[in-house]
Amino acid sequence: MNIVVCCKAVPGLVTDLKIAADGKAIRYQGQLLAINECDEYALEEALALKRSHGGQITAISMGNIKALDILYYALAKGADKAIRIDCESQDPKVASTVIVAALRKLDFDLVLTGTQSRDTLGGQVGIAAASLLAIPFAYAVVGVEARENHTVKVRKELGGGRYAEVELTLPALLCVQTGIQPLTFVPPARRIRARQQPVGSFSVADLGLQAEQLVTQGYRFVGVRPPERTHQVELLEGSPQEIAAALLHKIQESL
Amino acid sequence: MPRDILVLVEHSAGKIDSLSSQLLAIGQRLAAEMRVDLVAAAVGHRMENVVEDLQGHATDRILVVDDPALPLASADVQAHVFAEVARQIDPRLVLIGYSLVGMELTPAIANKLGMNALTNCVNIELRDGAVTVTRPLFDGTMHAHIALDETATAVVALQKGSVPATAPSAKQAVVQWIAIDVNSIPSRSRVLEITEEPKGDVDLAKAEIIVAVGRGIGDKEKIHFTAELAEALGGTLACSRPVVDVGWLPRERQVGASGKSVAPKVYVACGISGAIQHLTGMRDSKRIIAINKDPNAPIFQVAHIGVVGDLFEIVPALTKAAQKAQTR
Repeated sequence: MNIVVCCKAVPGLVTDLKIAADGKAIRYQGQLLAINECDEYALEEALALKRSHGGQITAISMGNIKALDILYYALAKGADKAIRIDCESQDPKVASTVIVAALRKLDFDLVLTGTQSRDTLGGQVGIAAASLLAIPFAYAVVGVEARENHTVKVRKELGGGRYAEVELTLPALLCVQTGIQPLTFVPPARRIRARQQPVGSFSVADLGLQAEQLVTQGYRFVGVRPPERTHQVELLEGSPQEIAAALLHKIQESL
Repeated sequence: MPRDILVLVEHSAGKIDSLSSQLLAIGQRLAAEMRVDLVAAAVGHRMENVVEDLQGHATDRILVVDDPALPLASADVQAHVFAEVARQIDPRLVLIGYSLVGMELTPAIANKLGMNALTNCVNIELRDGAVTVTRPLFDGTMHAHIALDETATAVVALQKGSVPATAPSAKQAVVQWIAIDVNSIPSRSRVLEITEEPKGDVDLAKAEIIVAVGRGIGDKEKIHFTAELAEALGGTLACSRPVVDVGWLPRERQVGASGKSVAPKVYVACGISGAIQHLTGMRDSKRIIAINKDPNAPIFQVAHIGVVGDLFEIVPALTKAAQKAQTR
């Protein structure tokens, strides 16, 4: 089974946040880039499926040159190939259009990705890509079982402790939840070795995309700032003992 | 020109769910300001009770698809049906809940309708004449305010929040039953079965005090600090998703969108940053106490009482104080 894992490089620290002059995007300096957490779980699931069913894993990521780091990480974890799509956009419609154009160039039975990235928190690109490709999809997947007849059986969350068991005919796309497989540790030596491996790249021209497909349409950013507090939180200060006494009082009066 | 507001409703056991009620309240306010109609759409089977429940939510019209294949229809079929219903009224805005079901359907519905989707929104309002949504970025530490272009349409997926329910309305909406042959919609996936998490020994829903531990605890060996606090307070130990994902506590103790929804008298969040998936499951708690070292953690947006500090200092001190109070 050939699997493509879509992963995103997300910043752990963001500075110099501002809205672009045309209002179409938010600009910032992102530091401490790492693989988005649920995308790493998607990669782990791909590795588990490969161990039991064989096939090739291709990790892809859309982003600037800094996204290379997470692709080397994916190779160190056991991906067979890695490809960077040289394009930057945080717009889910643009991102899914670009990723679909890349997927059309690849040979896959299954596309795995996470549910949501920790920077834009949209959770759209996976399902939007499946919808554009007109392939079956499932979101919040917590279990995958490959079956003989070119299908997968997946278990997905419906919320509130309810689950659905769904059978999907391949090719299909799954957005996996955190915790689907245990995360494996990658020894530093393997991470260093992985940096010797080639990483492919697609430009937007390679993907046959037109400039207007890369433009955010229909909305503009008018503000970006820390959340307004809808109610005031009462902050307690003092020594741990003083805080504990105050908290205990608050707890007792609430009962 | 597209103009009306369409709310896509989730329901179970003949009742619309609380997030959908909230969407209808928001839709009602927005439709009045924009001077357009509020339309609700619900799909399923044996829909009479859902329709009855929807009357009273001040909608102008109710669109219903009733088909025996719908309750177990796959996600792509459901998206197809909702898109088909939306096309009947060509709405300006489609409001949907940012529930797990909504998260799965929204991008597919938006794609079928050729609309943008704005997801995970905490607010939608008219601001300077423009439909403006607020949504989190960067783990919820920032909020982006996004204005729709004057004629742009969008599917807007809204989080569960604290919108006051509206008073029941006497307005009788026109009900329109739409016939869609669900079985003829092509799909390459099928739902085999719906299951429930087996009931464990822990009943979080009945607990009056919950002490919840998050990733901030850092280590399985340190969970006991919070377990001891729960015991000293006569409460129940719970946790956020990351703690379950790494195997520090079992799934039955998980609070949040995927796990249990709780509303105890006291909810003590220790080292929980407050991802929306967690807040969804506990924000209705009567008194929320948050202990976190990051003053910008989103948990402080829902907390009534906050302590910015080291939980390994605060939690043992609170445990000791509670134990002392018990023996007195």
